[in-house]
Order: sequence, then C-alpha cells, then structure tokens
Amino acid sequence: MLRDITIGQYYPAESIIHRLDARVKLVITFFYILSLFFVNTFVGYLFVIFVLGLAVKASKVPLKFMLKGIKSIMIIILFTAGINIFMTQGDTVLFQKGIITITQEGVFLAIKMCIRLILLIIGSSILTLTTTPIQLTDGIEYLLRPWKKIGVPAHEIAMMMTIALRFIPTLLDETDKIMKAQQARGADFDTGNVIQKAKRLIPILVPLFISAFRRADDLAMAMEARCYHGDENRTRMNEMKYQKADYVAQVCLICYLGVIIALRVAAAKLPFFL
Amino acid sequence: MDMVKAEGLTYEYIKTIETDHGTEEEKVLALNHLDITVEKGSFIAVLGHNGSGKSTFAKHINALVKPTKGTIWVNGFDTNQEELVWDIRQSAGMVFQNPDNQLVATVVEEDIAFGPENLGVPPKEIRKRVDEALATVGMSEYTTHSPNRLSGGQKQRMAIAGVLAMKPDCIVLDEPTAMLDPVGRKEVMQTILRLNKEEGITMILITHYMDEAAMADDVYVIDDGNLVMHGTPKEIFSEVEQMKHYGLDVPQVTEVAYELRKQGIDIPKDILTVEEMVGAICRLK
Repeated sequence: MLRDITIGQYYPAESIIHRLDARVKLVITFFYILSLFFVNTFVGYLFVIFVLGLAVKASKVPLKFMLKGIKSIMIIILFTAGINIFMTQGDTVLFQKGIITITQEGVFLAIKMCIRLILLIIGSSILTLTTTPIQLTDGIEYLLRPWKKIGVPAHEIAMMMTIALRFIPTLLDETDKIMKAQQARGADFDTGNVIQKAKRLIPILVPLFISAFRRADDLAMAMEARCYHGDENRTRMNEMKYQKADYVAQVCLICYLGVIIALRVAAAKLPFFL
Repeated sequence: MDMVKAEGLTYEYIKTIETDHGTEEEKVLALNHLDITVEKGSFIAVLGHNGSGKSTFAKHINALVKPTKGTIWVNGFDTNQEELVWDIRQSAGMVFQNPDNQLVATVVEEDIAFGPENLGVPPKEIRKRVDEALATVGMSEYTTHSPNRLSGGQKQRMAIAGVLAMKPDCIVLDEPTAMLDPVGRKEVMQTILRLNKEEGITMILITHYMDEAAMADDVYVIDDGNLVMHGTPKEIFSEVEQMKHYGLDVPQVTEVAYELRKQGIDIPKDILTVEEMVGAICRLK
C-alpha cells in the first residue's frame, strides 16, 4: 500500500526528454511553474496544454503514469475548487440559497484553478519521471553552486537529498513491517475517528525513528570508511555537459515564455469567458 | 610487508551505567594487548561471540577507531597518524553487516562510484573501475538498477564492488553474511574466496559462522578483548572443548567427529568438511 507513492519515481525510457541535461530540465520546470501563475485565460491554458502534450508525447512516459500523481492530490484539487466556487464574489449570480451563493466568476475561477493545479502536477512529474534522482540532485547542486559563496551548502543539500531518496523505500518497508508486527499483536489501525487513528501512529513512529537514527549512524560510518570528506577534491563519474538538444530546449523555453507573455498582454482584449 | 600488524593493541572506552544512585562510569576494556599479524594476500577469519571485541578490532583496521594504547599498522601506515587516514581507508576497505545501511546512492553504478569519487579519481578512470568492479562480483547486468530491488546477497556483493573500485589491498568484512539467507551467504562467500585467490586481495573476515571460518587460511579467536586462540582452521576446530568454553561452536561435521571419537571410534579430530568425513568413515574397518 505504501509502495504506491510516486514521489521521485523514475520511469526509464529512451527519449529526448530523458536525455536532456537535468539542469536544463530544472530551469524549464521552474519557469513553467511560474508561467502557470501568469496565465489567466482559457486560451492561455489551451496553449500550455498543447505544449505540455507535446512534452508528454516526447517523453515516452505513458499518460496513465502521470495521472496517477493527480489521483493522490484529488482531494486538494476538489477542496480548492470548492472554496473558489463558494467564496468568490461576483456580479453574475447563477444560484443562491441561504448563505450559499454561486457566481459565474467563481465557477470560472474554480475551473481555472483546477486546470492550473493539474498542469502543475503533470509538468513537475515529467521532470521527476524522466530524470534519475541522481541527475536531479546533481543538477540542483550545480545550480546552487553560485550561491555557495554566501554560505549555501550546495553539496551538502544534494547529498542529503540523495540519501533521503535512497532511504525512502527502505523506511517505507520498515513502516510496513512495524505495522504488521503490531497488527499481529492486536493493534487496530483501520477503525476509529481521525484523532484515534493519529494517536495509534505514535507506537509506529517511535520504533521507526529509533531505527532511522541507527541506520544514520551505520551509514555515516560506512561513508567515512569509503573516504567521504565533503566535496573537497571530489570528482564525479558522470560529468554534466550541455548537448545540442539542451541549447535547443533553452531556445524553446524562451519562445514559450514569449508566447505566454504575449497572451497575457492580449488577455485584456479577449472576451471574459476565454 | 605485512598487510595488518597490531602490536599491543588496546582499546578502552567509558560506559555510563544508570543505577539507583545516579549514573556510574565504568571502564570497559574492549581490546586487551592484541598482537596480530596478517600477511599480504592471505585470508583470515576472526571469531568471537557477541561483544567479544571482534568488531572493534575490525574498525581499527579502517582507522574508524583509534587505539587507546599500542599501535596498528595497515599497509605500513600507522593509524595513529591523522594525516594517513585517507591512505589507510583506501588500502583497507570495509564491508559492514547491514546491507541496507551502507549503500549511499539510488543507482547501483553511482554507489560503486562513490568511493573513487571521494578519492578524486578522474571521471574516465572511475567509469572503468566501476565496470570492472561490477564484473568482478558478477553484477554487470544490474549496473543501472536501484539497490532497493536487489536481494541481500546482491546488496552485499554491491558493497564489496564499492570497496573494490577503490583498489584496496585488503578488505575487512564485518559479519557480512549475518543478515543474509543461505543463498545470499553462499554468493558472498564465493565472491570473497574468488577475490582472495584470483585478485590476491587480503581478506579479513569477522564472523560467527564456523563453516565460513573453516575456509580461511588462519583463524583468530577473540574472547572478551583477549586473543585466546590462533592457528589454521584444522588446529582451531579440533579443540572442540576449548571452543565451547569460549561460547563458540565448531562446524557440524567436526562436532560429529568429536562425538564419534568420544565413543572410541578412531577418526581424525580435524575434519572440517563433509567430504573429509565421508573419506574418513570409508577408511574405517
């Protein structure tokens, strides 16, 4: 059950997107997310969906895989939609009963919010599905390097992320084991209200934390035994090098941002429902 | 030159005990004047029950722990000298008990590359070493896999490959098979034996499995921090009573031979394998 979590899951395939440099993908994803908050028209979203569709197609990752990620945050999406529908003030009232008022503006805003969230999840999952965690952390380390002078521990952050990613499945397995061991002794995790359920997690968390600390201790010793001493004089097996495709991707990003800005400027002249 | 040479190796630590009258401090002597010499290219086993100090000894070889008194030289480097730590750790690699807790990266090849990366080896050379190390332990087909999906035996072989990529002269294995199933144990032991025979890497195996120790050239028995027995496996295991006194077992066939001798049957006392046993029984009149 715990194995279904898709965060940081890599989907191995041979595609242009997979081959792109992690740094380029990180930068593109960053600007893509920014652009989502810049778009405010349905025409704009249509354009983003079109571009995203191309990217999904090029990544050769089945769409089913991406949609899996959305399923897990469906509640958040519905909640956001609900708040937007009921809380938005507007002129065109569609429905009114007691204190509940639904306006046309609210409905449009809710739909836009949902689209925005879904695009956000799919867009960022393209990044994690096509980039190995190692490439990702290497990319982050590289992008953070200029800030090292003002004290950003770029290498340490990347190392911590790698180790966290490495141990997520291990600790999930362990949680499963602890839960089963406690169920075997009569613990009940399925009934009761939210507070009762939360309380029952404590006996799971205590042994989990203890074992995590023990693992950390072991790992630190193992790393030391393998001569780890920070990023001083450290080399990398796979050095990052920009390929032709990476430059093309950057040009594409600039074009994309250009269109987004143009659409935003043009938005004022469009009818409200677009 | 000797691979490892310990002279009067002593290690003490202070243990705090909670009593009714507050905390008390107690000095624990984990290792007491150990003299051990390991020749280059040999395969030795260190035996001892839990808490006997055998793991502490292993950590001394990697300079993870410094001796309180005495000296230990690894490949001629004195572990007391701070500036030699990285040379020592490069020449004596270490494989730990828990296969999960010693793997750093999420991809097999990245984990193997971790050691040489720390040593500052050029990227092309790392690539070469990683491929070689994985081929040596027979894991080439798993190069880009995630370690999470591997079996315990495979993870331990990966850990061995990670050490191999640092081009060590000696590998210290601290109970590498304790958490593995029989298949995994066999895989790991075969790898250790092959590396010792073919690559000439000195192997120091800390274990409490007697049949593993029986494969070594030399066996040391540590009890409560003291070196109590030393000899070839045949010499050590033929002393069944002494071994039991130290809370250790002997291989099953050796024990059978011992019991048979007690019954007055004329059978050699230094039998270590089933084949030897079969031979000895067939020779009986």
